[in-house]
Amino acid sequence: MPPKTPIVNRVRELREQHGAMTQAQLGEAIGVTRQTVIAIEQNRYSPSLESAFRIARLFGVGLEDVFSWDD
Amino acid sequence: MSFREKSAWIMSIALLLGGMVYFSTVVSMWFESRQVASPAIPLLVAYVLVICVLAVLGHIIAASFTPKDAHAAVDERERQIFNRAGHTASFVSGAGVAMSLGVYLFSQSGDLLFHTVFASLMLGQLADYFLQIRFYRTSI
Repeated sequence: MPPKTPIVNRVRELREQHGAMTQAQLGEAIGVTRQTVIAIEQNRYSPSLESAFRIARLFGVGLEDVFSWDD
Repeated sequence: MSFREKSAWIMSIALLLGGMVYFSTVVSMWFESRQVASPAIPLLVAYVLVICVLAVLGHIIAASFTPKDAHAAVDERERQIFNRAGHTASFVSGAGVAMSLGVYLFSQSGDLLFHTVFASLMLGQLADYFLQIRFYRTSI
Protein backbone atom coordinates (compact mmCIF):
# COMPACT_ATOMS: atom_id res chain seq x y z
CA MET A 1 0.00 0.00 0.00
CA PRO A 2 1.61 3.31 -1.04
CA PRO A 3 2.23 5.86 1.73
CA LYS A 4 -0.35 8.66 1.93
CA THR A 5 0.05 12.37 2.48
CA PRO A 6 -1.15 13.90 5.79
CA ILE A 7 -3.62 16.07 3.86
CA VAL A 8 -7.01 14.52 3.17
CA ASN A 9 -9.60 15.88 0.78
CA ARG A 10 -13.20 15.67 -0.38
CA VAL A 11 -12.43 16.07 -4.06
CA ARG A 12 -14.16 12.86 -5.14
CA GLU A 13 -17.27 13.68 -3.09
CA LEU A 14 -17.46 17.25 -4.45
CA ARG A 15 -16.85 16.03 -7.98
CA GLU A 16 -19.73 13.58 -7.67
CA GLN A 17 -21.98 16.30 -6.21
CA HIS A 18 -21.25 18.55 -9.20
CA GLY A 19 -23.06 16.60 -11.86
CA ALA A 20 -20.80 13.59 -11.69
CA MET A 21 -17.91 15.50 -13.18
CA THR A 22 -15.28 13.07 -14.48
CA GLN A 23 -11.67 13.03 -13.29
CA ALA A 24 -10.59 14.04 -16.78
CA GLN A 25 -12.96 17.03 -16.77
CA LEU A 26 -11.70 18.16 -13.38
CA GLY A 27 -8.10 17.72 -14.50
CA GLU A 28 -8.75 19.79 -17.61
CA ALA A 29 -10.48 22.51 -15.58
CA ILE A 30 -7.59 22.95 -13.14
CA GLY A 31 -4.73 22.19 -15.55
CA VAL A 32 -3.49 18.78 -14.41
CA THR A 33 -3.67 15.29 -15.88
CA ARG A 34 -6.33 12.73 -14.99
CA GLN A 35 -3.63 10.66 -13.27
CA THR A 36 -2.87 13.60 -10.98
CA VAL A 37 -6.56 13.98 -10.08
CA ILE A 38 -6.59 10.25 -9.23
CA ALA A 39 -3.48 10.70 -7.06
CA ILE A 40 -5.08 13.67 -5.27
CA GLU A 41 -8.30 11.73 -4.61
CA GLN A 42 -6.34 8.78 -3.24
CA ASN A 43 -4.31 11.13 -0.99
CA ARG A 44 -1.11 10.11 -2.76
CA TYR A 45 -0.36 13.68 -3.84
CA SER A 46 -0.93 17.04 -2.17
CA PRO A 47 -1.62 19.59 -4.90
CA SER A 48 0.10 22.95 -5.06
CA LEU A 49 -1.63 25.84 -3.31
CA GLU A 50 -2.61 27.21 -6.72
CA SER A 51 -4.28 23.96 -7.79
CA ALA A 52 -5.94 23.61 -4.39
CA PHE A 53 -7.48 27.07 -4.82
CA ARG A 54 -8.52 26.23 -8.38
CA ILE A 55 -10.32 23.11 -7.13
CA ALA A 56 -12.05 25.00 -4.29
CA ARG A 57 -13.11 27.85 -6.60
CA LEU A 58 -14.35 25.41 -9.21
CA PHE A 59 -16.66 23.79 -6.66
CA GLY A 60 -17.59 27.17 -5.12
CA VAL A 61 -16.39 26.28 -1.62
CA GLY A 62 -13.58 27.36 0.68
CA LEU A 63 -10.18 25.74 0.72
CA GLU A 64 -10.78 24.09 4.09
CA ASP A 65 -14.04 22.62 2.84
CA VAL A 66 -11.98 20.63 0.35
CA PHE A 67 -8.68 19.97 2.15
CA SER A 68 -7.94 19.26 5.78
CA TRP A 69 -5.07 17.99 7.89
CA ASP A 70 -5.44 14.37 8.93
CA ASP A 71 -4.72 14.24 12.69
CA MET B 1 -1.07 4.24 -16.46
CA SER B 2 -0.17 7.68 -17.77
CA PHE B 3 1.64 8.15 -21.07
CA ARG B 4 4.74 9.42 -19.28
CA GLU B 5 4.87 6.38 -17.02
CA LYS B 6 4.63 4.22 -20.13
CA SER B 7 7.41 6.35 -21.61
CA ALA B 8 9.59 5.66 -18.55
CA TRP B 9 8.98 1.91 -18.99
CA ILE B 10 9.81 2.09 -22.69
CA MET B 11 13.04 4.00 -22.06
CA SER B 12 14.04 1.63 -19.24
CA ILE B 13 13.60 -1.39 -21.49
CA ALA B 14 15.38 0.34 -24.39
CA LEU B 15 18.30 1.30 -22.14
CA LEU B 16 18.52 -2.19 -20.66
CA LEU B 17 18.53 -3.83 -24.08
CA GLY B 18 21.01 -1.28 -25.46
CA GLY B 19 23.22 -1.84 -22.42
CA MET B 20 23.01 -5.61 -22.89
CA VAL B 21 24.12 -5.25 -26.53
CA TYR B 22 27.01 -2.98 -25.52
CA PHE B 23 28.30 -4.83 -22.47
CA SER B 24 27.76 -8.35 -23.79
CA THR B 25 30.02 -7.37 -26.70
CA VAL B 26 32.62 -5.80 -24.39
CA VAL B 27 32.61 -8.87 -22.12
CA SER B 28 32.83 -11.33 -25.02
CA MET B 29 35.78 -9.34 -26.43
CA TRP B 30 37.42 -9.58 -23.02
CA PHE B 31 36.95 -13.38 -23.01
CA GLU B 32 38.53 -13.60 -26.47
CA SER B 33 41.60 -11.46 -25.88
CA ARG B 34 41.80 -11.34 -22.07
CA GLN B 35 42.10 -7.56 -22.39
CA VAL B 36 39.64 -4.76 -21.85
CA ALA B 37 38.25 -3.87 -25.28
CA SER B 38 39.00 -0.40 -26.56
CA PRO B 39 35.93 1.79 -27.03
CA ALA B 40 34.74 1.33 -30.60
CA ILE B 41 32.57 3.72 -32.58
CA PRO B 42 30.59 0.91 -34.34
CA LEU B 43 29.64 -0.52 -30.95
CA LEU B 44 28.49 2.88 -29.72
CA VAL B 45 26.54 3.40 -32.94
CA ALA B 46 24.85 0.01 -32.42
CA TYR B 47 24.00 1.00 -28.83
CA VAL B 48 22.49 4.31 -29.92
CA LEU B 49 20.58 2.67 -32.78
CA VAL B 50 19.03 0.00 -30.52
CA ILE B 51 17.87 2.67 -28.07
CA CYS B 52 16.57 5.05 -30.76
CA VAL B 53 14.65 2.36 -32.65
CA LEU B 54 13.08 0.89 -29.50
CA ALA B 55 12.29 4.33 -28.06
CA VAL B 56 10.69 5.63 -31.26
CA LEU B 57 8.68 2.45 -31.90
CA GLY B 58 7.63 2.16 -28.26
CA HIS B 59 6.46 5.75 -28.09
CA ILE B 60 4.57 5.52 -31.39
CA ILE B 61 2.73 2.44 -30.14
CA ALA B 62 2.03 3.97 -26.71
CA ALA B 63 0.85 7.26 -28.24
CA SER B 64 -1.46 5.43 -30.66
CA PHE B 65 -3.42 4.04 -27.69
CA THR B 66 -3.69 7.35 -25.83
CA PRO B 67 -3.05 10.20 -28.29
CA LYS B 68 -4.59 12.83 -26.01
CA ASP B 69 -2.33 11.86 -23.09
CA ALA B 70 0.70 11.93 -25.35
CA HIS B 71 0.09 15.56 -26.27
CA ALA B 72 -0.76 16.73 -22.75
CA ALA B 73 1.64 19.20 -21.13
CA VAL B 74 3.66 18.12 -18.12
CA ASP B 75 1.73 19.03 -14.97
CA GLU B 76 2.88 20.02 -11.47
CA ARG B 77 2.99 16.46 -10.09
CA GLU B 78 4.94 15.17 -13.07
CA ARG B 79 7.44 18.04 -12.72
CA GLN B 80 7.97 17.03 -9.08
CA ILE B 81 8.38 13.41 -10.10
CA PHE B 82 10.99 14.29 -12.75
CA ASN B 83 12.86 16.61 -10.37
CA ARG B 84 13.00 14.09 -7.52
CA ALA B 85 13.92 11.17 -9.75
CA GLY B 86 16.58 13.20 -11.56
CA HIS B 87 18.03 14.46 -8.27
CA THR B 88 18.44 10.97 -6.81
CA ALA B 89 19.64 9.50 -10.10
CA SER B 90 22.38 12.14 -10.27
CA PHE B 91 23.89 10.59 -7.11
CA VAL B 92 23.94 7.19 -8.81
CA SER B 93 25.81 8.64 -11.81
CA GLY B 94 28.13 10.64 -9.56
CA ALA B 95 28.94 7.68 -7.32
CA GLY B 96 29.58 5.52 -10.39
CA VAL B 97 31.92 8.08 -11.94
CA ALA B 98 33.78 8.52 -8.63
CA MET B 99 34.21 4.74 -8.35
CA SER B 100 35.37 4.60 -11.97
CA LEU B 101 38.07 7.16 -11.16
CA GLY B 102 39.09 5.04 -8.18
CA VAL B 103 39.33 1.97 -10.41
CA TYR B 104 41.42 3.97 -12.88
CA LEU B 105 43.90 4.91 -10.14
CA PHE B 106 44.64 1.21 -9.61
CA SER B 107 44.23 -0.14 -13.14
CA GLN B 108 45.64 2.80 -15.14
CA SER B 109 43.44 1.58 -17.98
CA GLY B 110 41.79 4.32 -20.03
CA ASP B 111 39.67 1.72 -21.82
CA LEU B 112 38.30 0.42 -18.53
CA LEU B 113 37.68 4.00 -17.39
CA PHE B 114 35.63 4.63 -20.53
CA HIS B 115 33.46 1.54 -20.00
CA THR B 116 32.91 2.11 -16.28
CA VAL B 117 32.00 5.78 -16.77
CA PHE B 118 29.69 4.75 -19.61
CA ALA B 119 28.07 2.14 -17.33
CA SER B 120 27.71 4.74 -14.56
CA LEU B 121 25.91 7.16 -16.83
CA MET B 122 23.68 4.35 -18.07
CA LEU B 123 22.88 3.23 -14.50
CA GLY B 124 22.13 6.83 -13.53
CA GLN B 125 19.69 7.14 -16.40
CA LEU B 126 18.10 3.79 -15.55
CA ALA B 127 17.75 4.89 -11.92
CA ASP B 128 16.03 8.05 -13.16
CA TYR B 129 13.42 6.05 -15.09
CA PHE B 130 12.90 3.45 -12.34
CA LEU B 131 12.40 6.21 -9.76
CA GLN B 132 9.94 7.99 -12.04
CA ILE B 133 7.93 4.75 -12.25
CA ARG B 134 8.10 4.33 -8.47
CA PHE B 135 6.96 7.90 -7.81
CA TYR B 136 4.13 7.57 -10.34
CA ARG B 137 2.87 4.57 -8.35
CA THR B 138 3.39 5.87 -4.81
CA SER B 139 2.90 9.22 -3.16
CA ILE B 140 5.14 12.20 -3.77
